[in-house]
Order: sequence, then C-alpha cells, then structure tokens
Amino acid sequence: MKTRIKELRARYDLTQEELAKKIGVRRETILFIEKGKYNPSLKLAYDIAKALQTTIDNLFIFEDDER
Amino acid sequence: MKDIKGILLGFGIATAVIATLSFYVLNAGKIELEEIFPIGIVLILVASALYIIWDRVKNVKKGLPAQDERLKLTNYKACSYGFIASIWSAVGAPLISGILFDHELEGHYVTAVVVLCGGLAFIISYLYLAWKGE
Repeated sequence: MKTRIKELRARYDLTQEELAKKIGVRRETILFIEKGKYNPSLKLAYDIAKALQTTIDNLFIFEDDER
Repeated sequence: MKDIKGILLGFGIATAVIATLSFYVLNAGKIELEEIFPIGIVLILVASALYIIWDRVKNVKKGLPAQDERLKLTNYKACSYGFIASIWSAVGAPLISGILFDHELEGHYVTAVVVLCGGLAFIISYLYLAWKGE
C-alpha cells in the first residue's frame, strides 16, 4: 500500500513529529505508515486524513493485488 | 496520567526484580555455573524492559503517547509468541533433559524454564516487531 502522507505533510509544512502530535500517535507509527510497513486502523486513517485535510481514498493508494 | 502510571509501575517492577536478584546473588555464596545462565537471561529481560520504559519516557516528554495502536498490536503479537514459547518449553524442557542428560527435571526448574523462555520470546519478538514496524 502506498500513501501520499509525505507529499501532503510537505504541502502543509508538517514534520512527522508534528503530525504525530496532532493525531496522538508515536512518530515511528507515522514513519512506518509512510513506508507502507504498517496498515493503520480505519480510525487512525480517518484521523490522518482529517489532519491533512483530505479523504482516506485520496491518502492511501491500493495496488490491485493487495485487495 | 495513565502513561505515567504505566511507566512508574514498569520502573517499580524492574527495580524490584534487580533488588531481588542482587539479594539472591549476595546471599547465595558461591554461584554455580548452571545458575549464571538464568541470571544472565533475567538481566537481559530487565535491561530490555528498562529500554522499553526509557523509550516511553522519551515519547511522553515530547508530548507524544507512550503507547499507540501499533505498539498495542505489537504487544499482543509478542504476548502470543511468549505464550507459545512457554507452552513449548514446558513440554520440551523435561523431554530434552531426559533425552540428552538422562536426568528428570524437577518441577521448580521446569517453572523457571517456562518463565524465562516465555519472557525471552516476548521481549525478543516485541523489540523485533517494534523495530520492523509490523
């Protein structure tokens, strides 16, 4: 699963730590989600999307074979 | 507040384990070679626990949570691996002792092996999963 978190963070000039603070998770969690190593829960995905003023389907890009 | 309570509890338990171990070592007199191995495992477990506590303190100081959904999931996974290791060591330790050394392992030794193997499996899988991010 690919994400656009890094791109949107850069748009809003947010560091991983600032985004983590906004949504109440550890910085490493943001790092692992960005790298595609951790699949967040629906609630966390929603919180990240809300913090980055976008929608979940705009934030996460699923490959066909991952579905 | 919940995070701080958890950190203090973890630190208290680690201190109590170190105090108990020190008390045992100081009063045991001559320590046999076979006793060094479990003492080493206990020290590894305490050192790893202190590392986890330090990591949580670092996050709380920065205003981040000590534990989030990823670490809770990591904790559950590591607990299940620790549980499986405990079960298998309870079965395997007396069996291996009987086959290799022709010696029937006493009950308290089996209990010690179960606790140490479970703890070791938990801490290794926790640190590995937390580092790998899954």
